[in-house]
Amino acid sequence: MHIQELILRLQRFWADRGCLIGQPYDLEKGAGTMNPLTFFGALGEQPWNVAYVEPSRRPKDGRYGENPFRLYKHLQMQVLLKPSPARVQELYIESLEAMGVDLRKHDLRFEEDNWEAPTLGAWGVGWQVMLDGMEITQFTYFQQVGGMDCRPVSAEITYGIERICMFLGGLDNIFDITWGDVKTDEGVFPISYGAVRQREEYELSAYSFDHADLELHWQMFTAFEKEAWLLLTGPGHFLSAYEQALKMSHTFNVLDARGAVSTTERPGIIKRVRDLTCACARAYLEHAAQGAVRPEADGGKAVSA
Amino acid sequence: MSRLLLEIHCEEIPARFLAPLSGEFAEGLQAWLRDQLKIELPVARFYSPRKLAWRVEGLPLEQPDQTEVQVGPPQRMCVDAAGAATETGLKFAGKWGVGFDQVRFEQPAGKKEPVAVVTMIKRGRPTRDLLAEILPALITGLHVPRAMRWGRSEFEFVRPIRNLLCLLDGDVVPFELDGVTAGRETWGHRLFHMDHPGKVAVAGPEDYERALEAAGVVVAFAERRERLARQLETLSAAAGGRVVADAELLATLAEIVEYPTIVKGDFPESFLELPKEVLVTSLKEHQKAFCVEDAQGVLLPCFLTAANRPDDPDGFIKSGNEWVLRARLYDARFFFDEDRRQPLKERMEKLKSLTFQRELGSYFDKTQRIAALSEAMASALGLDGTDGRLVAQSCKCDLVTLMVGEFPELQGIMGGEYLRRENAHPKVWQAVKEHYQPVSAEAPIPATNLGGVLALADKLDTVAGCFAIGIIPTGSKDPLALRRAGQGIVRILFEKGWNLNPVRVAALALDGVEAKATKPRAETLAALEAFFRDRVAFQLELAGYAGAVRRAALAAGWTDLVDLKGRCDALAGFGEDPRFASLAQSAKRISNILKDETVAEDFDPARLVEPQELALARQLPALEANPDHGSLLAALADLAEPLESFFNAVMVKCEDPELRAARLSLLFRLRKAFLRVADFGLWQ
Repeated sequence: MHIQELILRLQRFWADRGCLIGQPYDLEKGAGTMNPLTFFGALGEQPWNVAYVEPSRRPKDGRYGENPFRLYKHLQMQVLLKPSPARVQELYIESLEAMGVDLRKHDLRFEEDNWEAPTLGAWGVGWQVMLDGMEITQFTYFQQVGGMDCRPVSAEITYGIERICMFLGGLDNIFDITWGDVKTDEGVFPISYGAVRQREEYELSAYSFDHADLELHWQMFTAFEKEAWLLLTGPGHFLSAYEQALKMSHTFNVLDARGAVSTTERPGIIKRVRDLTCACARAYLEHAAQGAVRPEADGGKAVSA
Repeated sequence: MSRLLLEIHCEEIPARFLAPLSGEFAEGLQAWLRDQLKIELPVARFYSPRKLAWRVEGLPLEQPDQTEVQVGPPQRMCVDAAGAATETGLKFAGKWGVGFDQVRFEQPAGKKEPVAVVTMIKRGRPTRDLLAEILPALITGLHVPRAMRWGRSEFEFVRPIRNLLCLLDGDVVPFELDGVTAGRETWGHRLFHMDHPGKVAVAGPEDYERALEAAGVVVAFAERRERLARQLETLSAAAGGRVVADAELLATLAEIVEYPTIVKGDFPESFLELPKEVLVTSLKEHQKAFCVEDAQGVLLPCFLTAANRPDDPDGFIKSGNEWVLRARLYDARFFFDEDRRQPLKERMEKLKSLTFQRELGSYFDKTQRIAALSEAMASALGLDGTDGRLVAQSCKCDLVTLMVGEFPELQGIMGGEYLRRENAHPKVWQAVKEHYQPVSAEAPIPATNLGGVLALADKLDTVAGCFAIGIIPTGSKDPLALRRAGQGIVRILFEKGWNLNPVRVAALALDGVEAKATKPRAETLAALEAFFRDRVAFQLELAGYAGAVRRAALAAGWTDLVDLKGRCDALAGFGEDPRFASLAQSAKRISNILKDETVAEDFDPARLVEPQELALARQLPALEANPDHGSLLAALADLAEPLESFFNAVMVKCEDPELRAARLSLLFRLRKAFLRVADFGLWQ
């Protein structure tokens, strides 16, 4: 299965089930949950279904493009369903079939795996979904986001795109996955994941492990924080403030990958990000309560499936 | 007599909650049956990843009638002089809905005069109606440790409830929970429903297991575990070996599948160069898989794990698990190779930034303390003190290796393995490898002496250090598992037969952390003494000594564990001897007599007059000189009869002050001799 084919099938599938198809958010982040479409979308009462691909950066997992199983940056297919549907597990299983997995021949299990994102003030309970012994999806019922109880509760489904592709193709190296075929007048050229991304993996790993200026990163961390609070406490802008929090989070991850954050400092640093994201969440809900955004908040026109 | 079946069908319930929830509900149901139906019945429990179910047989169709006696005003107020009902009397009858002719007058205990009484018969209600009320209440009353909400509901449970099945014989017990109505149908295995879209009907409670098995679910946990165990045995034998047994892993596998099947997979032989512990841990933690070993305990390049379906038609399950395991082992080998690029002890510097405990400093600091302690204890035990220091030096370095970062449970084991491969002296790598032992109450203690010393030093430093800064276990609070560490210390001393006073060595450990202590030393020492006394008492219990033996032996001193063990063995050997009851009696009498007396230790035996006391006095020197607990105890047993005759014949507190003093001294010395073995006053 080509990467792009898998993404297209999943997008088609979820669009057909009533999800908006979103786009990646154009800032570095560690997981699809941090995209405002999920972070703010999971807050408040209005129905909200959205699906999108999110490139997710984990500086610590960088391996210079040399490890066949690990990446600095991987692709997540993120689905958020609010409120969580009664048939959410069945929907998910149908999505596997849409990917081309014939479940009559595989072993599928949902094993407990609870999720927590301390920088987002968020946690939930759920499972890691295991297909023939491999974790292919993270499945979470959000209980809190931005320090607020989720009412209603959203279901979040996160597919690891590269892993699923490798697994379905029986490949032992991420970089051997085919991204897609380039068809030209000169012929058809299958392009590998490695051709598209391996050099990037090398440079980004080298940046976080070897070249990043730690002093600069500490300065940036503090500067982003200051900027964010100015935005929140001044004009009350939670979206631009939230962007600063995302930048803080990534800056922290770079520092962490270098071992520059001691275990004793760590909780304090995480709290600085969390205080900000939680303040953004509160500001968003206050704003939404004034009825200024979202035309769909006024009940929507419910159409039976 | 009726049968009840209840099944809660959820989205996948975390394995670790299945047994506790199942047990708690069964207890709640039994308590209710006792209370409301006056019947004691066993509750059969079933659970699988998506199901919690219970069945009870032998329920009455109706609740038994209950009589209630209602007491009213005094007779004189209910009946007038002519014997007719007064207004008060009629009111009382009316209140309970009976005619006045049904009111009796009795004088219940505690009342001064006869009062009006009616006996109400509360008709028992149909069991089905009662169940419909109580079952949802029992479910919502379950203690769910990590409860969740879902959708728009405020209802909380362990995972979303998607179906309820509840039958009393052939009838549905009607109730509703969070919008789900109980019925006679349920869901089978997801695989089964690919060809059978509808729910599965269950005809009656007794058909439950059969109906579900036909739908691909083996709903009894023990049955799944049994089937898995059988397959593990067959498949490992076919592979030419046996599984590396792990009861916990087997139970986990039985908890996470609805239909139990073992799948065998292979991994490349080249991974066998990894230490066995790494392979076993990696397979277990990452893939919930068993290793297979040959008769010599050497691993074979294959693994066994469970699948949640009856077969593997296209081999996808085998190849999928193999694929994941290859990735994991690839990682493990990467860690193993990377870690060995630098000698283990060169990581000392890194230990400086690894916090052991905020107030107690880094693992570097801890290592320095352990080394000093280990040296002192090795010397005290007649081992080479330099060796004691040597083995401690790099014992914590593996905490900053990649492998231990990935598998914390391999701490110590990896350090030992890396040192072995660096050609360290066997006594060093063995000691490092063993120094976290015993890891549980059942697990072994370090086999080597230096390993035992190092294990003691490490644990003593942890316990004494924490006590010194006020972290002391209380009740159920013991976040740093200090009790387990303390138990390990006592067990090592006890089983090694080492004559080291736990309080004294803890005091030695306390010296090492003195500069960081926040509590006064005397207070910490007192707390440590109480702590170790409890640990020693528990150790005697674990060792299987009877209560009387433990109490009597402990009271006669507990800090010399070798001596304590000798005394317990001797006492246990004499436990059946009838003379001990008499001896215990006499010992109690002696204690009572001596209670408020100031007694001199020395006395002149010539002062004594009665033959009975002279006989005792003659035996005293031999008793006091006897160094052996076994024969001392035999001698004490022989004293039972002479003591009895002594008490029968002699009045201790006589008029003559000198004779009285001599007798008291004799008893005092006798008690002292007893107390070398046991306090017989506690022999009961």
